[in-house]
Amino acid sequence: MTSLVCQSLDVSIGGKPICNKLNLELAAGQFWALLGPNGIGKTTLLKCMAGLLEPDSGSVLLENQAMDKLPRRTIARLLGMLQQHTVYIFDASVLETAMTGRHPHLGYWEREGPQDRQKALDAIRAVDLEGFESRSVTRLSGGEARRLAFASLIVQEPAILLLDEPTNHLDMKHQIRIMDHVAHQVTSEHRSALIALHDVNLAARYCSHVLMLFGNGDWQAGPVNEQLVLANLERLYQCPVECVQTSTGQRFLPGS
Amino acid sequence: MLMSAGSIFLASASGSVSLGWSEWLASILDSSGQHGELIWRLRLPRAMAAWVVGSMLALSGCLMQVLLRNPLADPYVLGVSGGAAFATLLGMVFGVAVAFLPWLAIIGALISILLVFGLARGTGPWSGTRLLLTGVVTASGWAALISLILSLTPDNSLRGMLFWLMGDLSYATLPWWSLAVLAGSFILTLGLARSLNVLAMGETTARLLGESTRHMLWLVYLLASILTATAVSIAGSIGFVGLIVPHLMRILVGSDHRILIPSATLFGGLFLVLSDTIARTLMSPQQLPVGVITALLGVPLFLLLLNRARLKGV
Repeated sequence: MTSLVCQSLDVSIGGKPICNKLNLELAAGQFWALLGPNGIGKTTLLKCMAGLLEPDSGSVLLENQAMDKLPRRTIARLLGMLQQHTVYIFDASVLETAMTGRHPHLGYWEREGPQDRQKALDAIRAVDLEGFESRSVTRLSGGEARRLAFASLIVQEPAILLLDEPTNHLDMKHQIRIMDHVAHQVTSEHRSALIALHDVNLAARYCSHVLMLFGNGDWQAGPVNEQLVLANLERLYQCPVECVQTSTGQRFLPGS
Repeated sequence: MLMSAGSIFLASASGSVSLGWSEWLASILDSSGQHGELIWRLRLPRAMAAWVVGSMLALSGCLMQVLLRNPLADPYVLGVSGGAAFATLLGMVFGVAVAFLPWLAIIGALISILLVFGLARGTGPWSGTRLLLTGVVTASGWAALISLILSLTPDNSLRGMLFWLMGDLSYATLPWWSLAVLAGSFILTLGLARSLNVLAMGETTARLLGESTRHMLWLVYLLASILTATAVSIAGSIGFVGLIVPHLMRILVGSDHRILIPSATLFGGLFLVLSDTIARTLMSPQQLPVGVITALLGVPLFLLLLNRARLKGV
């Protein structure tokens, strides 16, 4: 099983520490939430875990190999990341764009086969973009573009999924749909996911583990039922939080 | 969708060969029916040169647009042609023989490529913005030097210079190595086509999909620059082909570079052969600069197609 391991990872942005000596293992079957206030460095940490940025010290291991020693192509077959922003500049169809997820799996002169095409069509259906296959990506709404980017990620079939606020721009139905899909990938396909979120309740409902960034390099990580408690959330967001009991477990609201 | 794109490509490909060919034949029959020698030694090389230059510019334009992720980029935006033009005009001022001018153009273009490459490279990661700024500023530097030369030149040699600046195929010869440059870059680009699709979606996306983008982007820059340098050395800086042909083809066949690259390359050749034929015959015996014709043909054609595409809601 593919795993992603952070070993005493120091990451900072503009001299401001994001995490000090972060030790973390994303094991197969685990669904992690990454929580923290705006501007705390969630995106930077995710980019670092994807090997897009160098950490100050420490290392990220992918299948027990140092990330910076692996070729991008090998990484791309094992690890995929949904970026926070999706901007399409050049015209391409929705189907073509979803199919780009096959890129790391294809050889130099190879073309996408019928199976690749089927994977792309399935993913498009999964994100509710059926009927948009030949539409230009430059004519999609913000939410549609977001779902298409998620579809490309599914088509890439990585064992490790990093998602940077996948639910922003999405309505409630599609938020649930995306989260359901990630949860399905994690449990049925034995993958692992780390998902940066602002919605604590989505984390409470779906995730098995949570990593919290408090600023100044302080962090805390562990199973969701141990970590997602009032004291931690109030420290995290610097505001009073209230907890309510629902039929599906605890939910959190801003308190007064 | 793919099938229709494929068939459009086929149509444009066969169109380019047969149409370019018949147009070329007709122009021969019109102006110089009995002069077989003249045709083979003047017209055919000129048409071939036009075709190769047009293809190179269109291919280079495709590459530059991906490289800078900017649909407005053209082969000249990073100053390659500026360097070539400066060196050539300098040669004209000092009365260098016409046969050596292409070599001066190549040298000027190479100096410009290395200058921009060296300055934009820096130590940090790839930055498209830095490359664009370095290139654009270098290009304006060359433009200033060119204006300086033009303003200091006596009137009688000014005309030749202006023709060269607008792009002129009258003295064009086709060195064998330029064919090799075109064929080599074309095959290489076609092999990279799927990577170019990914690269057009942004550098980070491309890295996440398994491209080592830094190497890839420098390769694209060098390929595009060498194509431009070769084209400019043959025919001066012919405008518009490199900007408009890739866009026309994007409208017609879509943005998949596996189809876009061959169709743009073929159509670029066809387009310049047609333009040059018109430039030669429209006001014959007077010859017009081909750059003027490419713009006069290209602007309405482009606007028409753009408008059609919008109406269809593509």
